Amino acid sequence: MTTTVVGFDQVSKSYGSVRAVDGLTLTLYPGQTVALLGPNGAGKSTTLDLLLGLKQPDSGTVRLFGTGPREAIVAGRVGAMLQSGGLMDEVTVAELVRLACDLHPRPYKVSDVLSRAGITQIADRKVDKLSGGQAQRVRFALATAGDSDLIVLDEPTTGMDVTTRQAFWATMREQADQGRTVLFATHYLEEADAIADRVLVLHRGRLLADGTAAEIKAKAGVRRISFDLSDGPVDEASLRALPFLTRLTVSNSGSAAGSGHTVRIQSSDADATVHALYGGGLYPRNLEVAGLGLEQAFVAITEAEEARTAC
Amino acid sequence: MLNTFASRGLIRLELTRALRNRKFLFFSVLYPSLLFLLIAGSADSTSKVDGTGLTLPAYMMVSMASFGALTAVLMGNSERIAKERESGWVRQLRLTALPGHGYVLAKTAGAAVVSLPSIVVVFVVAAVVKDVRLDAWQWLALTGAIWAGSLVFAALGVALGYLASGDAVRPITMITYFGLSILGGLWMPTTSFPTWLQDIADWVPTHAYAALGQAIEQSQAPHAKDIAVLAVFFALFTGGAAWLYRKDTLKA
Repeated sequence: MTTTVVGFDQVSKSYGSVRAVDGLTLTLYPGQTVALLGPNGAGKSTTLDLLLGLKQPDSGTVRLFGTGPREAIVAGRVGAMLQSGGLMDEVTVAELVRLACDLHPRPYKVSDVLSRAGITQIADRKVDKLSGGQAQRVRFALATAGDSDLIVLDEPTTGMDVTTRQAFWATMREQADQGRTVLFATHYLEEADAIADRVLVLHRGRLLADGTAAEIKAKAGVRRISFDLSDGPVDEASLRALPFLTRLTVSNSGSAAGSGHTVRIQSSDADATVHALYGGGLYPRNLEVAGLGLEQAFVAITEAEEARTAC
Repeated sequence: MLNTFASRGLIRLELTRALRNRKFLFFSVLYPSLLFLLIAGSADSTSKVDGTGLTLPAYMMVSMASFGALTAVLMGNSERIAKERESGWVRQLRLTALPGHGYVLAKTAGAAVVSLPSIVVVFVVAAVVKDVRLDAWQWLALTGAIWAGSLVFAALGVALGYLASGDAVRPITMITYFGLSILGGLWMPTTSFPTWLQDIADWVPTHAYAALGQAIEQSQAPHAKDIAVLAVFFALFTGGAAWLYRKDTLKA
């Protein structure tokens, strides 16, 4: 039996006339760390709500471990941390974590959960007296109070400073290394790039791209080529005629020599573009070819999608 | 009973929290006793309240015990449930193995642990200060009846918590609370009301609730009508709470 952790089959959910999730089909497998990436309003939170059974789809089916979401949660297979997950106030952090352990069918020791979430020092503090970052860590503790197979995190590092954020992801990687599936929604693109081994790009409730961060970047067609040209005017028309070119900027390189130019090109096939560059009799210096950051790739994908739907 | 087992942790924490909240404890445990002394403190212990065989202290003792229980089960929960629905705590709990009714169960338990002392303290004050004397079985039956009867209003508190939200929940709860207290005759005997108001008060659940205790004080079986009124309102409040809870769950 191949285990499927999460299965969405043609899932749609609308609020009035707004389609928050539109015919979403996806499958998650054990041991993956998956980023759900998209701008605000892309449908990330709704997707997670559907996944966790907090919302019912208008059509389609959502399965967790081959059962309905509620059954999987009752069986203790899912730990989740919501962006909107409030905490019980007037109790201490330790009391709240103990509750989460009590409610889990396969709980860890309270002290272990506290230390893993890095909140041992604030265990006796009242929940309503926590800073935003501390509250996030408590939510994380609640999501990891027991031996769950899937951990779902909705924008988990909101309100954390850089150090805390790095510590948080280190903890999260440990969870993934133990064979758990980790699914997190984020609009911190560098997080998806650095942590996830699979990235799902969501836009207007639809799955725009699904692959590794590198594949997502490639899918956006995007290597960045830059080089300098010295001597004389630049023939922009011939540059523009280069194959696979998607974007071109030419600027004065501002060197003491005076007449040099720096050319920046984005190309969907950098090898072919560079080959044609030399073939065209140009003599580029300081040639650099680099991948785009995921952020730019992401912008490129969504722009392409918007252009397509506009036609 | 696996479900109740799963709710145990939350029930324990709600009890801890309820007993830790000094302001609320004072309000629901001591306030009814103070009000009792204010109303019955100067009353003599021989003349009877109109239409009953009870002295004013004996009559007001049951009224104030009922009022204290009402305060404990109605005031805390409605506001807290509304607040926790908004903060997302209720959503977070739905991501645990806690059964759907576990939250309401724990809230009710948290209220019940406060309502019991509020009943007993009124009894002690009435017995010590105003020499109210009853048989042992009557004290026990009174405590049991008033404590059990408060479940009707606990259900109402839950329903209000799911009905109203934000700024609306406090005024709505207050109006309900004072309306029930005054119309039900918990602050003054309904026999002092004009006749038309007495006719209305007869059907108010708090009136039936206090009448239950006053029947026990007179060694009578509770009136069938009072029990029927309480049963109907209990069904109404729990039904309403369940319906509102489901609506909230679908919306969340």
